[in-house]
Amino acid sequence: MIGIEDCLSEAMAIPGALGAILVDHTSGTALATEGLPDPERSAIGLSETFRATLDGLALSSPDGTIRIDDLIITTDHGYQLIKPMETMWDGPLLICVRLDRDRANLALARRRLDSISHELIAS
Amino acid sequence: MLSELAESKATGALKAGRSGTVYLSRGRVCYVECARTPTVEELLTASGRITSHGVKTARQTTAATADGGEMLVRRGVLSRGELQLCVLGATLDASFFLFGANVPKPRFREGDRHWLGIHWFFDVPGLFRECHRRRARLDRAWPSAELDSHPVVPVRRIRSRHVMLTALQWEILLNADADTTPVELARKIGRPAYPTLLAVREMAAAGLLECAESPAREKPPDLPKRVAGSAPRVATGGGGGRPAQSSFPQISGDPTDVNLLIRLRNALEAFQ
Repeated sequence: MIGIEDCLSEAMAIPGALGAILVDHTSGTALATEGLPDPERSAIGLSETFRATLDGLALSSPDGTIRIDDLIITTDHGYQLIKPMETMWDGPLLICVRLDRDRANLALARRRLDSISHELIAS
Repeated sequence: MLSELAESKATGALKAGRSGTVYLSRGRVCYVECARTPTVEELLTASGRITSHGVKTARQTTAATADGGEMLVRRGVLSRGELQLCVLGATLDASFFLFGANVPKPRFREGDRHWLGIHWFFDVPGLFRECHRRRARLDRAWPSAELDSHPVVPVRRIRSRHVMLTALQWEILLNADADTTPVELARKIGRPAYPTLLAVREMAAAGLLECAESPAREKPPDLPKRVAGSAPRVATGGGGGRPAQSSFPQISGDPTDVNLLIRLRNALEAFQ
């Protein structure tokens, strides 16, 4: 069982991690961050990315509703991993990690992020 | 006053009458309560993790030591991360409504602590900055505060043929009963108030929610004041002074109205 700060430092310990941020998706608030120059802007950008993906995929899926486990975005510089976590009283939190393209192992990073999120939110 | 307390590294509770309380520890804010937003206790009971009786007992047993949060974590009611997130969320939520409100003159009680203990810190300027950002975010979603303080109700028929909702928006639509304001709705469904308000404004922008009755339009015209000594006014126009309320907009045929409507439609479409 870990707290918010441990959650971020564990995310930063993922091989190839360049920055990590915990975002409240509904309000777009940066709750905690490490290794990002402008957390507020990142928080807004990442929550908009997640929302756009949710909406877009809902439109394209046959039954119109979807649940995203995680989101992997490959950019020219590296990877962005976005994982939503359901809390018991509020919309999802997002834990987002930016990864170095040469050093990161995507499969490992996904697994680690999954276990970190389960340690943070016990449900 | 809060900034002064922060600068002097004060520890205690700044109480603004019944409106709310800001708890400080060495000049940093560790928890904020506002009468209009759900507290950590309410969020926990609404989530079903603990009964309100359980909260009361925990509160009583740990009131002196102020380590109630620790005890709840030890008992397995919630994880440490969840407790921190709950305190964090409730504090940001309460700050937004407390700092923006007209409150009675606050009084500081040195040394007062909250029974949950300290689980997260906010510096005062950062907290103000976040409130400001949230205000701007609301106005970006729908730049009218009209729905904020009035009961809302889903529109009977929507303009578009396809709607996408978040889980929170769904809950709001189900519970919008034309009697409850957005902030009261939040308490009813056990959600923080700010996200609820934001969702209401987003749905207003999408044309899904409206005021239960538009107070500006349906308010009867003010009666003229009686002058001393004058006889009671006789109703004129045989009771037909005000046209019957219709749910359809009045058609004026004025081309400026049409242009306005087209611009409005374009703006709404751009929102989606």
